[in-house]
Amino acid sequence: MLDFTDVAFDFSDKPFIAGLSFAVARGEVLGLIGPNGAGKSTVLKLAAGLLKPRAGSIRLAGRPIASYSGRERARRVAYLPQQLDARLPFRVAELVEMGGYPHRGRAPRETSEALRLAGLETKADAPLGRLSGGELRRAYLAMTLRQGADCLLLDEPLAGLDLKYQAELLHLLRGIAARTGTTVVMSLHDMGAALWLDRLLALKEGELIGAGKPRELLSEELIRKLFDLDEEAAWIFRPGAGLPETKAATF
Amino acid sequence: MPRPLLRLLVFALLLSGPCRPAWAGAPERIVSLAPAMTEILFALGLGEKVVGITSVCDRPEEAQGKTRVGGMSNPSLEAILALKPELVVMTTDGNPKHIADQLGRLGMAIHVFTPRRLSEIPGGIRELGVRVGAEEAADILARELETLLETPPRFAAGEGPKALFVIWPEPLIVAGPGTLIDDALTLAGYVNIAADAGTAYPRFSVEEALRRRPDVIFLGLGHDRDNPRTQRLLQRLVPAGLDHPGRIVAVGDALYRAGPRLPAGIIEISPGQSLEKERAAR
Amino acid sequence: MKRTRMLFACAAALLLALASVFFGPRLLNPLAMDAEARQILLLLRLPRAAVAFLMGGALGASGFILQGVFRNPLADPYILGLSGGASLAAALGILLAGSLPLPLPFLAFAGALGACALVAALGRGPEGLRPDRLLLGGIGLGFFFSAVLLLLMTLASDGGLKRTILWMSGDLSSANWELIPGGLVLILGGLALALARGQGLNVLSLGDDIAHGLGFNPGRERFFLFVAASLMTAAAVSLGGTVGFVGLLVPHAVRHLVGADSRRALPVSFFGGGALLCLADSLGRSLAAPLEIPAGVIVALIGAPWFILVLRKKGYGL
Repeated sequence: MLDFTDVAFDFSDKPFIAGLSFAVARGEVLGLIGPNGAGKSTVLKLAAGLLKPRAGSIRLAGRPIASYSGRERARRVAYLPQQLDARLPFRVAELVEMGGYPHRGRAPRETSEALRLAGLETKADAPLGRLSGGELRRAYLAMTLRQGADCLLLDEPLAGLDLKYQAELLHLLRGIAARTGTTVVMSLHDMGAALWLDRLLALKEGELIGAGKPRELLSEELIRKLFDLDEEAAWIFRPGAGLPETKAATF
Repeated sequence: MPRPLLRLLVFALLLSGPCRPAWAGAPERIVSLAPAMTEILFALGLGEKVVGITSVCDRPEEAQGKTRVGGMSNPSLEAILALKPELVVMTTDGNPKHIADQLGRLGMAIHVFTPRRLSEIPGGIRELGVRVGAEEAADILARELETLLETPPRFAAGEGPKALFVIWPEPLIVAGPGTLIDDALTLAGYVNIAADAGTAYPRFSVEEALRRRPDVIFLGLGHDRDNPRTQRLLQRLVPAGLDHPGRIVAVGDALYRAGPRLPAGIIEISPGQSLEKERAAR
Repeated sequence: MKRTRMLFACAAALLLALASVFFGPRLLNPLAMDAEARQILLLLRLPRAAVAFLMGGALGASGFILQGVFRNPLADPYILGLSGGASLAAALGILLAGSLPLPLPFLAFAGALGACALVAALGRGPEGLRPDRLLLGGIGLGFFFSAVLLLLMTLASDGGLKRTILWMSGDLSSANWELIPGGLVLILGGLALALARGQGLNVLSLGDDIAHGLGFNPGRERFFLFVAASLMTAAAVSLGGTVGFVGLLVPHAVRHLVGADSRRALPVSFFGGGALLCLADSLGRSLAAPLEIPAGVIVALIGAPWFILVLRKKGYGL
C-alpha cells in the first residue's frame, strides 16, 4: 500500500532522515514509536505528501505520491495532525461532510455512515467546541472515514486521551481496518497501547532501528536503546520489582 | 543677597516684562491667527505691521509674503514667539481656546475677536480697531456693514424666495442656522431652507433639498457648474425645477469669513443682483 | 432543512432592504405616490438603497471570507490597509487634480486594489500567502497610509481635501445610478469567485495540514479568496467610502443563524450585510432629518451592543 525506498529528508539543510525504507501492507495497522524528535511526524507528513523527500521514493498503491493531483491523493490517503482545533464554528456533521470534498459530491461513504462508524450518531448536531477530547478525535476521524481513503495517517491520535478513550479509539481503528481493508499508520508514545497494533517501526534520529510484531519487538533492550534509558530508569519494565533501591531511599 | 539669587530675580523681572498690559501704545508687530483677522488687519491699513499669518490666510495678495506660523487650530507657538509680536490677534471661530491660554502663559498680549453673528461684526471690528490703534479706519469698515444691516428687508419675514447655500456638494453640506451665511441670507430677504437643520454646517438630506423646492441655490467657492461633483448634485436636484436661469448662482467665499468682504458678499447674493448677472451671462 | 433556512434568510434580507426604501425624512406610501414621490424614489432612494445593499453585501461577504482566510474572528475587510490605500489615492488624486482628471470612485478603487496587491506581496512566503504575514503586512501598511494621509492633510491648505476624507468616511447620499453597473459587476464577480472556492474556505479554517490532506492547496485557495475579498472591498470603497463594522459584525451574526459552512453562510453574509446597511442608511436619513447621520454610525450604534451581548452569552470562537 505504502512504500518508502531509501527516503532522505533534510531539516534546514541538515540531514534528518537518511536511507529510510519500509513497506506497509493493505489492511495493516502500523505504529511508529520512538523518542521525541525521532522523525515520526516527519515520516507521516512525507507519506501524506505534505513534505517532499530530498531523495528516494515514496509510493502509494504503486505510484509515486508526488505524481498524484491533490484530489486524487486525498481519495487515497487521509492525514490528521496531532493538534486538532476544537475552536471552530462548525458542527460535527458539517466537519464530517468536508471529508467528501475530494470526491466532488460522490463520496464513497455518506456522512451518516461515517458518523455511525465513529460512534457519533447522536452528536451530529453538536458544535465542535462542546465535544470531549475523545469525541473531537472521533469527529475528525469520521471526516477521514467519509473521505474513504484506503490509508489513514494519524499523528499521535491517542495523545491526551484517558485509558477508556484510548481503548475505544484503538478498537474503532482496528475494526475499520479489519472490515474495510483500510491501512492505518499512526505515531504513538504509549508502549501499552502499542501492544495492540499489528506491527511497529522503531525510529530513532531518523533511522529505523527495529521493526516487527509488538510482542517480539518491544524487548527491554530495544526500549532502552530507543529511549536512551539507563539501568536505573529501566525499572519501569519490571512491574514486579518495585522502585530501584537507590532511588527509593532518597524519596 | 547672594548673587545667584539676585541674577535670578533680575532674570524673572526681565521675563515678566511683556506681561504688563501693553495698552500704552499701538502694537508695531502683529501676528494674525485667522484668515478673517488677516483680511481685517490689512483692510485697516496695518499690512506693514502684520509680521505673521497662518498657512490658510490666502487674502489679500499683499499678505502672501508674510511669515507663516502654522494652521488655525495648530499654530506653532515657537514660530509665534520667534516673531516677537506685540499683539496676537485670534478669533473664537477657529482658534482653539488652549492656544490663547498658552500664549497668555507665555506672556503674549492677545486680542480675541468674539463676534459670530453678522450684527455683532461691526462692534467687533471697532473693538479691534481700538486695540490696534486704527479707530478711524475700523469705523469706516464697520459703518459699511452697518449701512447694509440697516437697509429694510425687501420681503416680509418668511415670505422671501427660498434659498440653499451649498458649501460642498458631495456629501451635501450646506450653511445651517447660526452662520454668517444664514444671517446674510436672512438679511438679503431669503428664507434659508436649512435653517432647521440644528447644526451650523449640516450634512443635509438631498431629498429634503429637493422637496423643499429652493428658489435659488448658491454654490460656494470652488463649486461652479463646471465641477463634475456639482453637476452630479444638480442632476439629482433637477426635479425641483432648477433648470431655470438665475436659480443657480456660483458665489465666492466672502461670506465664509467675518472679514471686510462681508458687504460685498451680501450684495453678491442679493436677489436682484444675482438674477441679473445670471441673465447677462446667458 | 438548512438550505430552506438559508433561502429564507436571504429572502427576508432582500425584503427588508426593499422596505427600507420607503423610509426617509418622509415616509413614502408605495400605494399612493404622486409625481414628486416617484421622482424621489427613482432618483434618490433607489440608487441609494442599491449602493447601500451592494456595499453592505460586499463588506459582509468579504468579512466572512477574511475571517476564514486569517482564521481570526477579528478580521475585517479594512484590515488589509485597504481603506487607507483608497483614501490616500483619492487624496492624491485631488491634490494632483489638474494633471489627473479621474473620478473619485475610480481613484478609490485603484488605491484599494493597489493596497491589496502590496499586502499580498508582503504576505507571500515560500509556500504561498501566509495569514500571519498578510495580517501584519495589512496592519503595517494601514498605519503607513493613514500617516501619509494625515501628513497630506496637515500640509494642504485645500479645504476640499478634508471634505474628501469626509466622503471616504462613508457617504451614501451621493449615490447615483451611474456607479452601480461597475460596482455590481465587480462585487458579483468577487462573490461568484468566493462561492466557487467555498469548499476551500471551509477547509482553510481547519488549518493548512488538514486542508492539504483533503486535497486542497492552501496557498492557492487563500490567493483566490484574497482576490475575491479584495475585489469586493475595493468596489465597496469606491461606491461610498468606508463604512466600518459591517464586515466584522455580519459574519458573526450569520454563523449564529445558519452555521459556518461557507456555502450557506457566504450568501447569507452578502444579503445580511446589504440589508443591514440599507436599514442603517434609512434610519440615518430619517432620525434627525433633514440632518443626515452617516450609516456607519448607525451600524455601530446598533451593532456594538448586540455584538457584546452575544459574545458574553456564547463566548464562541471562530
